[in-house]
Amino acid sequence: MTASARSGGPLLEIKGLKTHFFTQDGTVKAVDGVTFEIGHGQTLGVVGESGCGKSITSLSVMRLIERPGKIVAGEILLNGDDLLTASDEEVREIRGDQVSMIFQEPMTSLNPVFTCGEQISEAVQQHTSASSREGMDRAIEMLGVVGIPDAKRRAHEYPHQLSGGMRQRVMIAMALSTDPDLLIADEPTTALDVTIQAQILEVMRDLRQKNRMAIMLITHDLGVVAEMADEVVVMYSGKVVERGDVRTIFGNPHHPYTKGLLSSIPRLDERVERLEVIKGTVPSPYNLPTGCLFKRRCPYRMPICDVAPPYQVVGEEHASRCWLTPAGEAPDVGADASGEEAERAGELLTVEPR
Amino acid sequence: MLTYIIRRIILAIPILFGVALISFLLVYLAPGDPLGRFLTPNVRPEVLERLREIYGLDKPLFEQFVGWISHYVQVWDPLAWGISITHRRPVLELIMERAPATLLLMGTALAVTVVVAVPLGMLAAIKQYSVADKVVTTFATIGYAMPSFVLGTYLLYIGAVWTGIFPFRGMTSSLRTAGDPLDIAWHMVLPVASLAIQSIAGWSRYVRATMLEVLHQDYIRTAKAKGLGSNRVNFRHALRNALIPVVTLLGLSLPSLIAGAAITEAIFSWPGLGSLGLQAVGERDYPVVMAFVLLGGIAVVLGNLIADILYGVVDPRIKY
Amino acid sequence: MADTTIDVRQAQFDDTEDIDRTEVRSYWQLARQRFVHHRLAVAGAITLVALIVLSLVVPAIAGDTLRVSASRSFAPPEIFNDEGDMTLAILGYSRTGYNIFGVLMAATGTSLMIGFAAVLIIVIIGVSVGSVAGFAGGWVDNVLMRVVDIALALPGLFIIIAFVAFWGASIWSIIIAIGITGWTLAARLVRAEFLSLREADYVQAARALGASPRRIIMRHMLPPAFAPIIVAASLGVADSVVLEAALSFLGFGISADQASLGTLLNVAFEYLNREPYLVLFPSIVLVLIVLAANFLGDGMRDALDPRQRVEER
Repeated sequence: MTASARSGGPLLEIKGLKTHFFTQDGTVKAVDGVTFEIGHGQTLGVVGESGCGKSITSLSVMRLIERPGKIVAGEILLNGDDLLTASDEEVREIRGDQVSMIFQEPMTSLNPVFTCGEQISEAVQQHTSASSREGMDRAIEMLGVVGIPDAKRRAHEYPHQLSGGMRQRVMIAMALSTDPDLLIADEPTTALDVTIQAQILEVMRDLRQKNRMAIMLITHDLGVVAEMADEVVVMYSGKVVERGDVRTIFGNPHHPYTKGLLSSIPRLDERVERLEVIKGTVPSPYNLPTGCLFKRRCPYRMPICDVAPPYQVVGEEHASRCWLTPAGEAPDVGADASGEEAERAGELLTVEPR
Repeated sequence: MLTYIIRRIILAIPILFGVALISFLLVYLAPGDPLGRFLTPNVRPEVLERLREIYGLDKPLFEQFVGWISHYVQVWDPLAWGISITHRRPVLELIMERAPATLLLMGTALAVTVVVAVPLGMLAAIKQYSVADKVVTTFATIGYAMPSFVLGTYLLYIGAVWTGIFPFRGMTSSLRTAGDPLDIAWHMVLPVASLAIQSIAGWSRYVRATMLEVLHQDYIRTAKAKGLGSNRVNFRHALRNALIPVVTLLGLSLPSLIAGAAITEAIFSWPGLGSLGLQAVGERDYPVVMAFVLLGGIAVVLGNLIADILYGVVDPRIKY
Repeated sequence: MADTTIDVRQAQFDDTEDIDRTEVRSYWQLARQRFVHHRLAVAGAITLVALIVLSLVVPAIAGDTLRVSASRSFAPPEIFNDEGDMTLAILGYSRTGYNIFGVLMAATGTSLMIGFAAVLIIVIIGVSVGSVAGFAGGWVDNVLMRVVDIALALPGLFIIIAFVAFWGASIWSIIIAIGITGWTLAARLVRAEFLSLREADYVQAARALGASPRRIIMRHMLPPAFAPIIVAASLGVADSVVLEAALSFLGFGISADQASLGTLLNVAFEYLNREPYLVLFPSIVLVLIVLAANFLGDGMRDALDPRQRVEER
């Protein structure tokens, strides 16, 4: 058990992370000041539409960002150690060992010229003193754990001989073979059928319980979040817009975006004439609005929204980036406030580190 | 695998047939009498008629073609590919005699190319956008744009005429030194350099391109996420995949092993198949010309087959 | 489900700020814009145009300084000669007394002309074969592809040399020889394009919307098919010019009094130890042509391919 686990501190702390992409057409602020944390053994769901920055956040944690992207600010503390200032070698030791990651596309995430067993064994051998024989044994063991039948034979097969669901299981086996403290799962079930999805989630639930493993589950599927997550972080256009306990988020969402997301899910027990949508589209990263990034689509929009809203506490363990009060009404400083007055009010309300 | 090879060979037959047809037509339709050069005042017309009979030139097109093909197929017969008009020797014999020189030249050039181009291309891809990458790409672009005879001429001038380090021409200095490996090597430097520089330019571009493509694949990201060091990622995971198409390039280089050196052989007076072929064209030595066209076709077909087989060997996804 | 204090359905929604103000440009405008961005391609285009112009203008101006004259042997570079006529002999005169620059440009002109003419043949044959094969599919495609296979199996240079040697080395026989051996790439590219276009979703959609076959071909299939044709053509120019030069260099091409870059190199090779500098000029021009045509082809390909890559600043 690590020091921070004993002391009760969080496993992973992301503070003010900014990852920008410098392209010919302009700078894309894919992640612009993201702060949240994951406790030991906790499952955090990171929700948002495509392009909101959730994947980039996870890649930043693993320091897998490449040109033209660059992590320009922030801290990422793993058990108290800042990953962003660590040396390349230290980061490589952590990758695949304390923090493992699985990706969205199982079809292309495995190297086609090596067998499944070899690839899992490689991870094991990289981080332990295991021999290749021991590595392969562990690989076969893990394949069994993730529910692949006839594991011994499968270990010597190539990825193209396996189905998508099986490949994803192999990925999970590979990620978990080193007993990581944190598993980052980036849309692990998006590319799979619903039935396979259920199986994969079952595997993940099972394993996190056995190994007391934390999971950062990135997805745009609210159903998956509801099933798996303890806490939820909602992202929009590179920022966190709401964070809270899973029951709170689903039962009592504060941010208009979250509300929009939830109300757009069709329900079987209601008859409606039209499905709910969030009007408008995600703003182009080259043409972001000033102030609140959601304002162009927000049904509650007020003039004060031209000033960047505070990230304020709206309930127990519940924060939201919005001018609305916890009760959902106009802020005390007034819906028409602007300029310095609004900014000062925002600074008073916000709990986000600068 | 064996059935695949057999199937491919069977499929290759119509192609070779087409090549043979074109080869035959090229010569048959050529203006001028093939035996015209023998027409001196001393030669009696009956002798010419006899020669015409021997070469079968008096029969109709179709018969000649069929006769020619059936002859050619019997490669165990040293006369199967005809007799050279200029050299008065069986064509097959001439080819066998000259082939080693060409193979030596091209084989060495190919080896040098692979040894230099693969690391160069890899380096450029791994360090994309860096100075090294720009240098390699620039060199490759210019080298690729320079025709072989231009490069050969420059090398000949710099290496032989101006500095006098290397010999002008040929494979050996004199009859005395014939067969001496050092002497041959000394003669080989310039032509091999000429051939190698050109193909290194092409190959390194190709290696760089495939390597770049591989480096952007998802499984490379997975490998990094596993905590593997950059050496392992580049050499074991990336290169292994990038080499798949490069290995097939090896097979596809086979045709040029035989035919590609023609111009270089001409510049450096290298006694190989290329210069034999050029000489034959110049002197209207039709049997040799026909044999060469067919030889070229066989080399291409064989090269494609080898490339596909190699591909099946190195890529586990391919099953024949 | 949450009970909101404001009824979402009746709230105001203002979308006027979100109007995408980027200009709407047509495919061709976008293509031209992308092309201009490609500095090397533009340089290539300028170089080729410059060479074409020079090859037409300079020989006309230089007049009979293009012929050998003992009196001008090794004369220094000049723009006007003693009599005040413009000679443009900026590279001086050779040992035998001809205007090096003038002859160089005349030779370039011949080489370029042969190159372009050969490419014309290549494009005509290639597009015909490729489009028929790609559009018809089935056994027609099979047969035509076997023909392509046969053409590819032939040793190109050798056949060209033999053809020219047997049928006589006139400019036309060279053009034809290069043309009929070089069309395979164009055919393959066009065929590939047509094959994939036939099944493309947007083509099916156009059909489903009731567009006439003519409109489908003209508006939907031809523009994307252009790209490979143009790319093949620009690369074909480079190849053809080099082939002609190789031909003439080896002595099988056009005769030396109809100067081409190849014949200049042939002569230069002969005089390698006496006048080594003769190799420089035609080889530089040749390499320039190849580079320019290649860059042009690359630029065209990137410009006409609507799939953008994100470029780093």
